[in-house]
Amino acid sequence: MRIIAVGIAEIKVVQPPALLRTNLGSCIAVCLYDPATATGGLLHFMMPQAPNASAVCKVAKYGDTGINELVEEVKRVAHVKSCSGFVAKIFGGARVLQNINSEIGSNNEEAARRILKELGIPITTSQTGGDRGYKIEFDVGTGIIRCQRFGEEAKEY
Amino acid sequence: MSSPEKLQKAIKVIAQLSIDTASRTFSKLIKSGATIDLERAFMADISEVTRIFSGSEDEVVGAYVDLVGEAPFTFLFFVSAPDSLTLTDLMLRREVGTTREFDLYAKSAVQEIGNVLASAIVNVFSRDFGIAMKPTPPAVTRDYVGTVFEEYIVKSAGELNELFVMESRFCVVQFDIKCHMFIVPLPGSDEILQSVLESPNMKEYY
Repeated sequence: MRIIAVGIAEIKVVQPPALLRTNLGSCIAVCLYDPATATGGLLHFMMPQAPNASAVCKVAKYGDTGINELVEEVKRVAHVKSCSGFVAKIFGGARVLQNINSEIGSNNEEAARRILKELGIPITTSQTGGDRGYKIEFDVGTGIIRCQRFGEEAKEY
Repeated sequence: MSSPEKLQKAIKVIAQLSIDTASRTFSKLIKSGATIDLERAFMADISEVTRIFSGSEDEVVGAYVDLVGEAPFTFLFFVSAPDSLTLTDLMLRREVGTTREFDLYAKSAVQEIGNVLASAIVNVFSRDFGIAMKPTPPAVTRDYVGTVFEEYIVKSAGELNELFVMESRFCVVQFDIKCHMFIVPLPGSDEILQSVLESPNMKEYY
């Protein structure tokens, strides 16, 4: 199976067999899945909102521009015109450093929930917040995500 | 040589000088031979650079330091979790193997190493180039390497999409401990670094 690492401010959209993998702290991973075509995408965004959305050259860095781009990319790879059957799972938004970036994680989570709601895409599960990092593995063949918070057992969602 | 290339050269020279100072200070601190080498210095897209550690299960202890002043930089030092225990024993001058878990002593040891290394960099800025800088108290965390590095990039990148990253590795020879250090210049340091290029100390490196 292909294992694809997803860096910060990056979107990867693939079809099976493939595993999308990333680590998170205060960033959020939005895992978007189209069950009908088994197409999955992962956005790893860093900040909730682009300062000037029309002038952003790295759209995946921000929640608002990144989620829209993720949806369009999944639609393109899945060859579908609508995102009506898509489901989302979100992870991350931790406060790893207690005295630094204190609100970024929660602001990122809030942005992800709001934007997905506006797009009409349901969040079927989430694992967010806390003070530890996350390791995420998204099996695009099944749509199952293995999430392991640092120091804890891995869970499947 | 274009201006950005010159700036990168200036940063590399400062890093090399800092590393030399840090090696000596650190060797004295742990009373063991330590070598530090500039492993690589490169301009990288933030996605590309974080992909290096993305998905790794490796557990590390990292110390983050902001170098504030005329030429702001961010600094990260990290070491694998088991090696942080060895470093703690070396720092506390006790038999290696005494520290068995990441406790307050281990956290303080990594914090102190971050402080010593960051101070070495600040000293080079000040002594060799007359640039006023000071390190902030190190913030220490233990987590996945990908998470520790991600938080560093989040702290450093701001509005930037590309970063000039310098990675150094140092080895405590007797115990084969490998640590990583990263330095990223922040917006606002360009102008000062430009003046560094003109200094007599810098010219000998061209």
